[in-house]
This record gives sequence, structure tokens and C-alpha cells, in this order.
Amino acid sequence: MTLLASHLYKQFGPTRAASDVSITLRAGTVHAIVGENGAGKSTTLRMLAGAVRPDSGHMTLDDAPYAPQSIVEAAARGVALVHQEITINRSLNIAENVFIGNLRSHARVFGIMKRRRMAELAQAVLDRIGVKISVSTNIDRLNLGELKCIEIARAISSNPKTLLLDESTAYLDHREVDAVLTVMQELKSQGMTIGFVSHHLSEVLAAADDLTILKDGQFVGSFAASEIEANEIHRLMVGRDLSHGTYPPHPQRADIQVPIVLQAKQLAVGRELNDISLTVGRGEILGLAGLKGAGAEALFAGIVGDEPLRQGSLDMNDAPYPPSNPRSAWQRGIAHLPGDRGNEGLIAGFSVLDNLVMARPPTRGPFFDRSRARTISNDLIKQIGIRTASADSPCRSLSGGNMQKVVLGKCLAVQPALLLLNNPTRGVDVGARVEIYRLIRQKAAEGLAIILSSEDMPELIGMSDRLIVLRQGVVAHEFASVSGIEEHDVVQYMT
Amino acid sequence: MNEVSTTTAVGDKVPQSPWHRRIQVDQLRRGFPLIFLVILIAIFTIMSPRFLSLDNLSTVLEQGMVLLVAALGMTFIIMAGSIDISVGAIVAVSALVAALTADTLGIWAIIPAIAAGAVCGLINGLLLAVGKVPSFIATMGTMVVYRGLVLYFTRGAPVSIDDNGFLWTYSDYSWGIPHSVMIGLALAVLAWCIINYTVFGREVRAIGGGERVSILTGIAVTRVKIMMFVLLGTLAGMAGLLQGARTMAATSQLGLGLELDVIAAVVVGGTPLTGGLGSIINTMLGVLIITLLSSGMNMAGVDPYLQNIIKGAVLICAVFVTIDRKKIGIIK
Repeated sequence: MTLLASHLYKQFGPTRAASDVSITLRAGTVHAIVGENGAGKSTTLRMLAGAVRPDSGHMTLDDAPYAPQSIVEAAARGVALVHQEITINRSLNIAENVFIGNLRSHARVFGIMKRRRMAELAQAVLDRIGVKISVSTNIDRLNLGELKCIEIARAISSNPKTLLLDESTAYLDHREVDAVLTVMQELKSQGMTIGFVSHHLSEVLAAADDLTILKDGQFVGSFAASEIEANEIHRLMVGRDLSHGTYPPHPQRADIQVPIVLQAKQLAVGRELNDISLTVGRGEILGLAGLKGAGAEALFAGIVGDEPLRQGSLDMNDAPYPPSNPRSAWQRGIAHLPGDRGNEGLIAGFSVLDNLVMARPPTRGPFFDRSRARTISNDLIKQIGIRTASADSPCRSLSGGNMQKVVLGKCLAVQPALLLLNNPTRGVDVGARVEIYRLIRQKAAEGLAIILSSEDMPELIGMSDRLIVLRQGVVAHEFASVSGIEEHDVVQYMT
Repeated sequence: MNEVSTTTAVGDKVPQSPWHRRIQVDQLRRGFPLIFLVILIAIFTIMSPRFLSLDNLSTVLEQGMVLLVAALGMTFIIMAGSIDISVGAIVAVSALVAALTADTLGIWAIIPAIAAGAVCGLINGLLLAVGKVPSFIATMGTMVVYRGLVLYFTRGAPVSIDDNGFLWTYSDYSWGIPHSVMIGLALAVLAWCIINYTVFGREVRAIGGGERVSILTGIAVTRVKIMMFVLLGTLAGMAGLLQGARTMAATSQLGLGLELDVIAAVVVGGTPLTGGLGSIINTMLGVLIITLLSSGMNMAGVDPYLQNIIKGAVLICAVFVTIDRKKIGIIK
């Protein structure tokens, strides 16, 4: 089934989300839509899926006019959408989640469910897309990638001819991305037409036959994946060549000062972190690689006192540091940038100023010192390059990249000795990434000790001075230097 | 060119676009409690010309002070995304303590009365912040316990307050202004300062805006939560004292159902139950609306058996218009 869209426009309030986008999903091929955050990828995909109605432009499906008013109508025409958020309901079982959209058709009289029949049908769908999950598995045991596969199964259960996948803010790690890619290849071999949005460029190049590049809501062009180089895609997405200088240059080892800022001895935290010893020195960026659940998050939670240490001890600046709660960690000079920006990093409804001074509000006696808070936040806005109308604008009005800069600003506002970064550029566009990398490197050069945990392998290799690979809560390998290291060198220790 | 691009290209046409209209609706919504109050006053003035007299307004204000003082404290709780439904019972406890001590302590009965309220609040705060019992359940339990205490010590009989100094200080007039109104307004100014100018006020708001963010950013969430419940307890203690002085007695029925009026006042003022937002000015408007509604209906001679139906319906309408339900997404 060929889905053709021409000259689509969509405006949200004052923002032009998509402008003159033309795209052709050829039958039985995989078509990727790429661009920076805010480029209009999701909007475009959602217009194709009927979730968003275009302001103008028209679409055809195998030469028949196609103007879905809703995703239900699109699904009836054979176009199914997999949302970017995980929409699995954990209080239902796998089969119920697969058929959530039409549970009624699996009911007997009085609405009693045909449980066994439903389980069989759900298993058939899972088998068809090549996912090795049994429907009887407890849904709490599945990882995000597997949950994503359940969502794909849900979309497939209506027997669509075209599948649209939105992954524009991917929270999946490498293993999980692989699982989704495998499913996509399987479906493609069955003749499915697939359109998808992703922010991992390498995965796009691996999976796509065609790709369409968007930039700032504008249509840049469509290309055959085999005819375009990664650097060229980057250049078209960002408008400048980023192949050199995404990451600032590594300093010479000698530039890194020796004094150890934090030393962890045989630390165990929660269920994930079992036994880890490490040190991080002044001016050093220590990278932590590992799959989700390998222990990096638990390590951070232990260091800031969000979770108690099961065993082991911590020294900070050669003095014992028993973590008790995040408050005392911040007072000790440990700043923490959490991995989940929306729920843990900042309060989106609050102003930029409110968020920036949250960790250490300036005071005059018991009173909040508003004028000093303004000076501090204006300085940070300028120093970090936060693009906001003013310090009083709500963070909600900023782009993902600028929100993350606010969280980083909140950390830097306390002038920390140690900075813990958990996926600092997750959901951040390429342009803002480069600025964040420069800033991190600059702060390290000024003497800040940094531990960087990331699922983005190029980022880890590009930013770390030293790299530790975690696997199942222990250190699997340590790279004393990252020069000459390739992604697969690191990944081999992860599983 | 298509229509959309033309609209953005020509700046003059922007006011016609839907997003601009939405901003106007937002501004209207913010001013709605005030508009609603004005409409209410207008209706009651038409129905009963005596309604707007200075004499009557002074009486209405006096009636509203117990509600106001308690609602000031509730504003903090709701701003932090919590709730306290034991506030009416705390008012009763404090009124009883004031009544029991007024004969010996005179006007200084204020100290045990407020202390009793603060202790009740502390218990609520500890249950929530340390015991991790959800505030609705915790305060529902303590509500029953506090009411039970009053009933146990009074055995259902009213305890009268006879001390003249006490009664004069907390319920008489000077220069034509009820003392309770002076106290209430002074406390309102104080609460306003706490919300707008102290770190504590900001921390309360931050907890309501995002509790997990607040914890990870190093805000002493446990301590702040306990403090805000103690603050509400203290203010409820003051409210109990005023109520006791007004009725010259403490009874086990005193403040019964007050918690509903208190929560309604805060919410009708425009403070959402979801937390992160709140203002004392809005709460004061809400208190005026609730108080005027009750007394206005009496003056206008509305059938007393009809009043509750009208009151409930009006409250729902007010919240319907005040709170932007589209932004909340999920309502539970």
C-alpha cells in the first residue's frame, strides 16, 4: 500500500509545526522521517496517521483520496500508529493490552471475556511479528523494548497495511532498539509499509530504505537511504556540518588534576548495584556505560542519598561521606541531573528563575531574595545560552534542549564539586547538544568532577576521559582512555 | 501560498487565530472569582436592598472570619497538593481548650488554644510525611479522633465561656470594626507574606508542582510538609478561638462540616487541587463568595430548605468556569 502526502501544512498556535511537507511511503518499504527536536517529525507522522488533521494539503492511499479525521478512521483504512509514549496498562495482562482497542469483540454475552481465545490470538500476533514473548508472562517483567513490541502487536492486531512508528523521544536503550528494529524488518518482509520517526541516526541508516529530512517545520527533501551519507544528513538537519566538533576535544591526561573528589568502595545499592568501587578526580569526566538496570542509576541514587547503601562506603575529598538524603548531598556540593527531565529534573509549570534557584534559593534572613535570584538566573541564562523570552517565562514554553539547559543551570548554580549527569542530552536536539557538551567540558576544565551516565554510545566515547562499563551491577570493564575506542568495543562488555 | 502561511505573514490578522482567543479566555478565567463575587453582590442587592448596608457587610465579614483564618492555612496545604479534612475538628478542639482555660487565663487562653491546634496539625503532618499515609486518609482518621476527643471531654454538653476580657478581645468591636476582622485580615497579610516572600512559601509551591523534583533538588520535603500542617493547625486553632468567642461556648458540634466550606473557599477562589498554584488574594475572594452566598440567601428570604441545593450547584458552576480543565487532563 502506497501512502502519498503532498504539501501538508500544520500550525499549532503561533508555531508552524509542519510546512509544505511532501512524502511518499512506497509499498513494502521502510521510510524514516528525521530532523532535530521540533523539526516537525512527529507532527508529520501524526498527520499521516489521522491523529492530527493538516491545515491544508492532501493525501492519497493507493491513489484513493485519504483524509482521516481520527486514528480510528485511519486504522479502518489500514493505517495504524504506534505512539511515542509507552501506553501499556500494567494492570491488564499482555493479551488484554494487545486487544485494548476492541475488547468488546472478544466478549461473550454479559461482557464475559473469552480469555483463552484472546490469549491464543494475542500469541499469534506476537509470533507473527517475531517477538519471543509468551502472553502468559507477567507484564511487570517486560522491559521498555518488549513493551514497545506489545504496542506494535496492538497496532498489528487490526491487520493494517501501513504501520507508523513514532519514536521521536526514544527512551529505549540499545538492546531495546534492536528488538524494535528486528520487528520492523520482519514486518517489512511480510510486505508491510512502514513509516517511522527516530532520533537515533545510526538506527535510521540501518533500517530505512528512504528518508525524509525536516528542519524547523520545513520540508528539506526525500532521499534514498543508500544515496546519502550520515554527515550529509546531519548537515541538512542542522544546517551546518557537525561531523567534526560535535564533541569538544579531549584534554591531555596531564591536564586532569589528581586530587580525588569522590571515592566509592564496594558500593551496593538496591537490587541493581551489587559491588562497585570507583574514583573520580578533579576536572575528570568519568563515563558510565551499561544497559538500563546495569547499575548506573542505582549508583547515582546511592551517592545522593535517594536510596540507602546496602553495603560499602563513600569518601568525598578524603573525608568519609555517609549519604543520608539528597538535601545533604547538595549541601556537600554534589549536583545531580536526573534522567527523567519531566518528572525529576524540573517543574515545567514554574518559571525559568524558579527552577534555576531551586536547589539553593538566595535568602535574606528567612526571606527569599528576589533581586539576587534574578541576578543569578540572568547570569546563568547568559552563560549557558538558555533561549527564553525572560527569566519569568514558564519552562513549559521552552524546547526540550532549553529545558535541559535549565536543569543543568540548576546544578551549576550551587557551584558543585561533583556533578552527576544521567543522560544529559536525552530528547535534546543536535544543536543544543553541542552547546551542552561544550559547557560540560568547560566546567571540567575549571575543576569540576563529573560522572556521566548515558545510553548514547557516541556521546560517552566523545565526552569521557575514562570509561567504566557496568553489567548487572558490577564493573565489567574499565577503559583508562577512550582514544581509538569504537562503539562495539564498549557494547561487547555490556551484555 | 496557503491560508495558514498568509495568516502568520500578515500580523494584523493574528487576533483572529484561535490561540489568541484562548489567551483572552485565560485572562477572563483568572478574573472570574472577582467577576463572580460582583455578580453575586449585584443579585443579592437587587433582591434585598439592605444587603449592601455597612452594618450588614460588617456582620457578613465577621461571620466569614473563622472560615478565612482556616482557609489561609488550607491554601498552603492545597498548594502543596495535599488536603486536610480534619480542619473543622481541629477548630472544635481549640475552641474547647479555649473554653476550658479562659476562666483562669483570660485573654491568654489563646496560647493553649493555638498550641492545641498546632499539636493536632503536627500529628497530621507526621502521619503524612513520616508515616506516609495519604493526607486524605490520615486526616479523615484524625478528624474522627479529634471530634471524638471533644465529645469525650464535653460528654456532649456545651462548655460556656464567661470571661469578659476574653470575650471582649476576640469578639467585640473597636471603632466600629469587629476585632475578629482585624485579626483575620492581619493573619491574611501574614500568610500573604509567607507565600510570596519566604523560602518556605516557595518550597510548599515546589512540592505541589513536582514532589519528586523537589526531593531530588534537596528540598527538605518531609520537614516542609510537617511545617505546613502545623501552620494549618495553628491557624485552625485561632479560628476555633474566634468561633468560641463568637458563640460564647464550645460545643461538640462546633465547626461541624467547616472543612467542606474551607476547601470550597480555596477552590472557588481559583486554586486547583492539583497543587503548585495558589494565592491568598484568591482564597480571600473564595471566602467572600462562600460567606456572601450563605448570608445573602438568608437575607433575600430564599427558602432555607432550598438553600443547600442552590449552594452546591453554584459551587460546581464556579469551579466549572474557574479551573481550566483542559490543562489538567486526567480528573480523578
